[in-house]
Amino acid sequence: MNDHEIFINMINDNLNEMGDTIDCLYTTSNSCVKNKLLNRLRKNMSNIAALAQGLQNGAGANSPQAGAGRMFTPEELSRYNGRNGNPAYVAVNGIIYDVTNNAAWGGATHFGLTAGTDVTNQFASCHAGQPVLSKLKVVGKMPR
Amino acid sequence: MNNANNCCPIFSARLETASVLVQKAADAVRQKRIRKRNLIWLELTGCSGNIISLLDGANPDFKCLATQLVNFIYDNSLMAAEGDSAMEKLFGVTGSDYILAVEGAVSIKDKGLYNIIGRWNGQPITAYEAIKRFGEQASYVIAVGTCASDGGISAARPNPAECVGIQGLLGKKVIKLPGCPCHPDWFMGVLAYLMLFGEPELDSRQRPLMFYGTLIHDICPRRPCFDQGIFASKLGEKTCMFKLGCRGPVTRVDCPIRKWNDRVNWPIGDDGPCIGCAMFGFPDKMEPFISYNLT
Repeated sequence: MNDHEIFINMINDNLNEMGDTIDCLYTTSNSCVKNKLLNRLRKNMSNIAALAQGLQNGAGANSPQAGAGRMFTPEELSRYNGRNGNPAYVAVNGIIYDVTNNAAWGGATHFGLTAGTDVTNQFASCHAGQPVLSKLKVVGKMPR
Repeated sequence: MNNANNCCPIFSARLETASVLVQKAADAVRQKRIRKRNLIWLELTGCSGNIISLLDGANPDFKCLATQLVNFIYDNSLMAAEGDSAMEKLFGVTGSDYILAVEGAVSIKDKGLYNIIGRWNGQPITAYEAIKRFGEQASYVIAVGTCASDGGISAARPNPAECVGIQGLLGKKVIKLPGCPCHPDWFMGVLAYLMLFGEPELDSRQRPLMFYGTLIHDICPRRPCFDQGIFASKLGEKTCMFKLGCRGPVTRVDCPIRKWNDRVNWPIGDDGPCIGCAMFGFPDKMEPFISYNLT
């Protein structure tokens, strides 16, 4: 199964779950239960938005091979700090990602981290196992 | 809130959460289906902003909380008693059933010497000692505000008094209600839920999902601007403040729905970016609060 099919399957799973949740919403009058169900719907919508973004970037477009032609040095990477016309790039496991318009990188910073740096260790401690990188555009590589 | 959001069921349902819960709990107490619970509110190493925020509650309000839901036994800012008689009330709960609400972090440097909350039998009682003594015996412990939850401003660099959130000092689960300050709805809703049903569903950071389940960014009235790439370049513009460093996309809480000060407004509604005050790591990891010249 390729990345594209995995994304489509995950979107379908979310849609099925949303159908079930909507059925439940019709049957409950308890406002607390309603809140939980609405929360679940919101979570499904976020998942689908993330998956759609991943598909839009092109299945495999974020693989180390694609779009990774350019090699960066740490000094070059540091210039891409998201300021004064420069895009915001970060390195994770030797791959450079564009976070210029990523919502979680408001102000080209993220939980005390700044764009233009290698955030491999911090990524591993917070987002290991999460499909976070699949949403980002790959712009190059940096030897580790 | 714009007109579109007024029609959204998630807004209207969420807005009622606290008032519905508090009303149900008050009815149950009145009908003697549940009993009033004892409430202890400790103000530790903080600014007392959370108790002031609680007084600002509206539907449900503080009067309802104090007269219909709980026996409000101790809070040093609100109680009439002072000195020894106040401390007698606090230590009088030993051995009885009570819910503990805590605001402020705990200074642990030099065995907590930098925050003395009172004297008992002539001996100074530190915040550190108080949380250990009363936290372990409480039926439930609620961390009210960001400092009690994760250290917050009290634990900001360079943190000379070595302040920490209360969870690290207790061997039992703490329900966290981060926010600077905590919204009165969040506290009263959770308290009523505890009385009616026990512990509410929590996320991985021990925050109740009924209030902390959604990113601000996902329910922000300016989200359409973000989606279309319409960004403010300076404060005061009525568009998305992502390029000014808004922390709404990483902050989980429902400010856009219930707003503040009797539901009048909230930071983004007044053209200022969210600074992530309800997220762990605030304030250090949410800085800078404002950025310019971003691409």
